[in-house]
Amino acid sequence: MKLAAVKPIALVLTRELALTALLLLGVSLVVFVILYLAPGDPFSVLLEGQAAGQEARAGIREALGVPQTWYIQYLSWLGNLLRGNFGTSMRSGLPVFGEVVRVGPSTLYLTLGSMLVALLIAVPLALRSSLRGPSMLTWPLTMLVYLVSALPVFWLGYVVIYVFIHKLGVFPLMSRVSASPERAWLYSLLPICVLGVGNGLVSEAVRYLREEMSRVLADDYIRTARAKGASVWRHAFKEGFLIPMTEIIASKIPFILGGAVIVEQVFNWPGMGRMAWQAAQDRDFPVIMAIAIVAATFVRLGSLLQRVVYVAVNPRASQEARAPGGAE
Amino acid sequence: MKRILVVVLSILGMVVGTTLLAPAGPKNDGRPDGGTLGYGEYGRPSTLDPITSNEMIALRITELVFNGLVGIDEKQEIVPELAERWEVSKDGRTYTFFLRKDVMWHPKEGEEAKPFAAEDLVFTYNIMMHPKTITPLKVRYEFIDKVEKLNDHTVQFTLKRPILNALAKFSFKVIPKHGPSNPLYLARGDAFVQHPIGTGPYILKTITTDREVVLVANENYFKGRPHINKLISKPFADQNIMTQALMFNAIDMVVLVNPRDIPELQGDKRFVLQPYNALAYAFFGYNLRNPLLADKRVRKAFTYAVNRQEMLDSFFNGQGTIVSGPFAPGSWAYNLDVQPLPFDPPKAVALLKEAGFTPGPDGVMQKDGKKLALSLKVPIEKESEAVKRVVLAFQNYLKNIGVAVKVEFKEWQAWKESIFLEHDFSIIFASWVFDDSADISSLFHSAEIGPWKNNFGAYSNPEVDALIVESKLTLDHEKRRTVNRKLHAILAEEAPYAFLWTLTNYSGYHKKLRRVAIHPYKFFSFADEWFIPVADQK
Repeated sequence: MKLAAVKPIALVLTRELALTALLLLGVSLVVFVILYLAPGDPFSVLLEGQAAGQEARAGIREALGVPQTWYIQYLSWLGNLLRGNFGTSMRSGLPVFGEVVRVGPSTLYLTLGSMLVALLIAVPLALRSSLRGPSMLTWPLTMLVYLVSALPVFWLGYVVIYVFIHKLGVFPLMSRVSASPERAWLYSLLPICVLGVGNGLVSEAVRYLREEMSRVLADDYIRTARAKGASVWRHAFKEGFLIPMTEIIASKIPFILGGAVIVEQVFNWPGMGRMAWQAAQDRDFPVIMAIAIVAATFVRLGSLLQRVVYVAVNPRASQEARAPGGAE
Repeated sequence: MKRILVVVLSILGMVVGTTLLAPAGPKNDGRPDGGTLGYGEYGRPSTLDPITSNEMIALRITELVFNGLVGIDEKQEIVPELAERWEVSKDGRTYTFFLRKDVMWHPKEGEEAKPFAAEDLVFTYNIMMHPKTITPLKVRYEFIDKVEKLNDHTVQFTLKRPILNALAKFSFKVIPKHGPSNPLYLARGDAFVQHPIGTGPYILKTITTDREVVLVANENYFKGRPHINKLISKPFADQNIMTQALMFNAIDMVVLVNPRDIPELQGDKRFVLQPYNALAYAFFGYNLRNPLLADKRVRKAFTYAVNRQEMLDSFFNGQGTIVSGPFAPGSWAYNLDVQPLPFDPPKAVALLKEAGFTPGPDGVMQKDGKKLALSLKVPIEKESEAVKRVVLAFQNYLKNIGVAVKVEFKEWQAWKESIFLEHDFSIIFASWVFDDSADISSLFHSAEIGPWKNNFGAYSNPEVDALIVESKLTLDHEKRRTVNRKLHAILAEEAPYAFLWTLTNYSGYHKKLRRVAIHPYKFFSFADEWFIPVADQK
């Protein structure tokens, strides 16, 4: 790649990273305040199973060295975070960072896998219908995809478990970690597919990609390319495929992460979503905060990727974005 | 009488203590060693040491890894564990324990196993009572004044006052002095909390990312090596999946079967469903600060109005018993002579009328222009499906006698705050889980009214107060039983709660597991005796 192409990308990256830092700060503050305002004392989880009076409750804060006011609590949390310390889980006493790192790959595996599944279904369908128009094959398939996307993912999960594991017995039933290694991947297929078809990415990708591709194909420059006998696909690729794809993926990341919480729960998948669910039930603030930050980072990385792709395809876009209104 | 009892107890202790000594090594009882047992848990354990852990999942693991000075046997009688024998002073205030000399701690990684000694016991007690140790046990052991090491194998506890059934309380699990890195108090950040070592039948081997806990048999267990080689605790996030996992042989045992899945397992010859009674019951509790509920007749009318047996049958497959009073059924304190009130809606209406209520134009009962409309607060628990049905049925039953109930589901911690701190409710639905002490003083004594205290409904009755105090002070078991029977009768009559039922818990396991005896609430106390026939060992 030429320097001229790298420079705008670097510019965009720097700007976006600065924005990301600000955004994460905002997210952490909002999540912290919401947690603080939520009813229920997080420390009372540690006293579960006994009749604890006012004194014991105060004692816990003292023993753990928790500041009384919320803003000092927040600042000390933030200070720790800047030093790379996410704190320790209130419930288990384990360092949160280590815990998140341990379960993170499982969630990444699940979400990336499900994205792949969604795209494997959506892309051929969208391209075929944009190139050839609706046919006896693509139209019913598209309708089916829309229908499945509308189903709640937890319901889909239970139906899949019932049909494929319980009734047909074609998949082993066990969490990914516990299953015997040679068959473990078989079990992971189910949650990946369920999240893949159930998170709405398929239907949206089909719809958006088809529209964009059709629009681009109708553009003058494609017509020219076609007339010249050049590859239509190569000319249409950037604008008709790459940009819409990154846009959809970036915009769907939050939904996929949300879906992962449910799918992990239903399929006993040892990931971040399940951990977040458990932490919310236990009021395990440090864990909730860490997962919120990690999730926000992922969402932000998604849109960053989208910006980078956009600028790489169209370097002028970085300048447009830098100077609002075009005045420079 | 008191003295005689104490003396008899101590003699009994000495006799039982000396006869039960067994050398370390195989059990030599003719049953085979080997095999793996994977059991499913609904949720993940947090801390794995016996001091900071406060949930059942961890408690079950600590039961396998640790021992107390005393334990109980299958008949629920106290037997020696780490203590070989004990002596109790005549005034019941000094307990001297003579420790076993053949007990070894599980070896720490790369180290030799160390012997168990008196210091460990003193250390455990001190760390448990340290103000900075956050543990649910502290309140249970405040009756102990001090603990002293007399020699390497003798420890003496001095009590602040003699208490009944004190011996049972010495079942707390002992941890090694060389375990925690901080010798003063146990914090959740201590490495010991995640990798504990004990004296028990199983040694903690690994914990996976998913908090799957693997335990292996302790070859040098002082009661003889346990039969099953490996025990694996597998966490499940969803109860529905857990039963399926059992059906597909992915696990061999479910500790607590979801009531809804019982019929499915019952019809399957591969599995055994074993009932065990928890010392617990469910109830609707009333806030007596609400003037409408201050009248005993109103509260009793509610009990008459609900068909408890029907609810139990339809929502829990009839797996339980209706209770009539405040004690855990199955405990010695429960008064079987007090019958649960029958389902009798006309009687309920009559009682309401007697209390001065008349049906209003909208069908809701009213008195002095005030409608009998109440709010019912229910915690959203993990298994809330059956609870939801119970609550809606209750609402319906009360509607039939002209009482309007507004149901409000609240998240667990928020629910606790509004019930125990703010006292902002008319009725609650909840359950109490008891230990073996059958102590209800914190539930109904008027001194227990206040923020974060268990008498949330502000029930106050001088007669009940007096009986509770008497029951606590007496050391004569028979007398205490009589007092408790009286308490049971009064509280059943006064109805501060609508007592509902105690549910029968079921464990489901593969029939290859043999000689399975289950402790009512600690579950794995007798697991070292379980075995798997050689042909079924994987």
